[in-house]
Amino acid sequence: MPTSASSAIPKPSSELVSRLTAADAAVKLKALRDIKNQIIGNRTKKLSFVKLGVVPHVAAILSSTSDPNILVQSAAVLGSFACGVDAGVSAVLDAGAFPRLLRLLADPDPKVVDAGARSLRMVYQSKLAPKYDFLQQENTKFLLSLLNSQNENVTGLGASIIVHSCDTIAEQKALYNGGVLEKLIDLLDGSLSQRDASLESIATIFKNNVEAIAKFMQPGREDCLSYIIELMKDRNPKTRLLACVCLIVIRNSSPCYLQDIGIKMKLIHSLLELLDNPGQVGDEASFVFSTLIAEKEELQKLAFEANAIDTLYNHLQKDQLSPRRFQGILLAFSHLCSKLESCRSRFLSLQVMNIVIDALQHESSDIRIAACTCLRSVSRSIKNLSAGYFMNETVVLPVVRLLHNPSNAVQVAALGAISNIVVDFSTKRSIFIECGGVKELVRLSKSMDLDIRLNALWALRNLMFLANNMYKSGIFMELTASLLASLVCDPEPSIQEHAMALVRNLIDGCEDSIEYAFAEDGIILNTICRQLQSISRDEIGVQGMHVLCNVASGNEFHKERLMKQLFPQGDDVIQSFVVKFLQSDNSQLRIAAVWVIINLSLPSSPRAPDRVTKLQNAGIVSQMKNMVNDPCLDVKLRVRTVLGQLMAFGDGIAL
Amino acid sequence: MPVRVESSAPTQISGADSWQSTPQACTLLSVGQAFSGTQNVSNNQKDEAWRVNVRIQGLDLDHGYLCGTMEALNVPMADTPVVTFWEGEIVDGKNYNFFTGKWQAAPEDDIRHWTKFPSFCPLMNQVEVDGGKSLDLSNYPCIFMRWKEQYFVNVGTDCGLTIAGFYYVCFSCSDGSISGFYYDPNSSPFQKLELKSTNEGRSGFSFSSYELQ
Repeated sequence: MPTSASSAIPKPSSELVSRLTAADAAVKLKALRDIKNQIIGNRTKKLSFVKLGVVPHVAAILSSTSDPNILVQSAAVLGSFACGVDAGVSAVLDAGAFPRLLRLLADPDPKVVDAGARSLRMVYQSKLAPKYDFLQQENTKFLLSLLNSQNENVTGLGASIIVHSCDTIAEQKALYNGGVLEKLIDLLDGSLSQRDASLESIATIFKNNVEAIAKFMQPGREDCLSYIIELMKDRNPKTRLLACVCLIVIRNSSPCYLQDIGIKMKLIHSLLELLDNPGQVGDEASFVFSTLIAEKEELQKLAFEANAIDTLYNHLQKDQLSPRRFQGILLAFSHLCSKLESCRSRFLSLQVMNIVIDALQHESSDIRIAACTCLRSVSRSIKNLSAGYFMNETVVLPVVRLLHNPSNAVQVAALGAISNIVVDFSTKRSIFIECGGVKELVRLSKSMDLDIRLNALWALRNLMFLANNMYKSGIFMELTASLLASLVCDPEPSIQEHAMALVRNLIDGCEDSIEYAFAEDGIILNTICRQLQSISRDEIGVQGMHVLCNVASGNEFHKERLMKQLFPQGDDVIQSFVVKFLQSDNSQLRIAAVWVIINLSLPSSPRAPDRVTKLQNAGIVSQMKNMVNDPCLDVKLRVRTVLGQLMAFGDGIAL
Repeated sequence: MPVRVESSAPTQISGADSWQSTPQACTLLSVGQAFSGTQNVSNNQKDEAWRVNVRIQGLDLDHGYLCGTMEALNVPMADTPVVTFWEGEIVDGKNYNFFTGKWQAAPEDDIRHWTKFPSFCPLMNQVEVDGGKSLDLSNYPCIFMRWKEQYFVNVGTDCGLTIAGFYYVCFSCSDGSISGFYYDPNSSPFQKLELKSTNEGRSGFSFSSYELQ
């Protein structure tokens, strides 16, 4: 009977083991060389030998011999196992080889030291490598000793350790206080590999660390920065890329540096040129480009003027794009199109959308996510939303399909794009609804995962914006009043906010829509009023008061029902949140509250005098008078509207 | 709203840098808000007036941008109401000033149109100096804008109508009313747009919102 391959731990052939454990050094050496020759550059062979359990036998040799040749070969074999294959790294670590490799660095034989360093560098290329604790002073000293070595692989190892293990501000501080930064600056003058390693390490120590950068920028060090700027023109593409990385980290972490337009343009052009590199450097260039322009409108504008959209598009059209490169270019597009309409317009004119839509169905989830992110950015164009550009089956169907994807990250990315696409001014919502989009959004709005729940609700809120009655009715039937009420009092404040915004949109438009607020014995309105008594952030209050405002814009029945909510205990005591919001420092909150009062006191309403009397007895009129010179013009003008309306009620109202 | 005369395409202008703060948000000019009124198709008041509905679809005060649709209801040459999408520039002294600098509008054309709005008069002297770049309009009770129609939403470009011109617009923060004058060198001058904030049959004002991700 066949069994699964993993059910039994395979044993290496006894012949291979006996050769590896042979007393005869020559036999052992030959066995190691044989393995090395077979696995170098051959992932399948590596995995096969790992499965056969060869790694522990090789690791054992490291502590059982002092023969330099055998040590060199063992280290080389282990490094090869660790190179580019996480299963190999795991096997090397599990076999306890890591401390043994570290010990080789203290070997008197330079060849052994070199082999140990090479091997450890391979391990440190993987995320699985153990974290190095820089906060222990001895460790920093050891790191410095590596960086001080004459051996390039040893200094490279030191740099790899920094890049892999230095994450926190405290770790960065330990390194620059321990003299590591000075050493790395020295290494900029070293060999090609030392220079690259140094650039990458410096970027790691600078990342989000203003103090480290300030140390680097001390008077007298101007040459260092100039040198790194010069390295953007280096012959070696990797050096150019790393110089860009370093400069972008300095710029992003400490915005007071590298602000002149010349540097910005150089960075943009260098990175766009590096896309031409067919290897890893070209793959990474678009990611680095994204870090340069992300959230920075000015840089996006410069990149647009440098023809970045066309350049990226040209690369996207090439055959046999690596998945990494494809992902990077899509993300670069998404950053470019995140703020500027000119970029979105150019993007859409190049027909990149067809590629993005295909990418929504790519086998790689990273690429699917990048395609969704790209779609989300470009669909921020109200001009194109209004034209119904995105609300068509070609776009909607594949992105809705992603809501079934097993990956939460893919679902969240798809929901982000959907949230924008459903802001539909073109009355084509039916395409989204008919393909089951609403059902999926409602299902995901009940998810235990906060990001999914929030983004699904966000999409529903936007879908409800200016929707006609027929769509509202259909969406509400899926949602139900009780689900909406439960979302309104969700433990997460952002969910509360979007749920209230959804209700606000639901009851906007045709007056009949207000009835939704009173469905199931008014569960939605009751819950909102209860939540407003204690809000954890102003935005919830703003949305909640807009719900009340929209209810108050209805007929007499609606206004009176709202009054009952606002005066639950009698005639003179209004819900305390109304006064609190009118007195808030947040003008958005004040204006939303004032609109409720405007709608309740409209002179044309038959029962307005009764309501005005109640509002006056509850102190609202005097509060309005206090706001007549509100610093916010909108509030001030609306308060005057209220006071003007109250004048219509004559002597009964003491203005 | 489309008119019946052809004109050339507009050119692009870049925003000017300045220290001014942008106009404060006015709830009556927020996304989703609707306006209705008329446009006199000729400066001769005896001529026809088209009924017009406007809906605000997007607003970005930081960039001095707003957009929406304009629906002309009784256009003689059209079988159905004609809907156009327009984009607006808010005169905030930061992104845009009172001088249009494009769309075939010379400073004299600008001044001639802006002065039609009574609320512009207090600003006149400064505008003549620098286009209003140094004015602080953040607390001014009116918002001045230019609205430029970009495309027809529900009819083809072969509908015999043109959207070559643009509107000088003044929005009153006090009552939400909008006045505008259509400008196109090839059309009748000073076609007046008059709109009032509507509440779609409600006894009060209702507001909806969306948020792009």
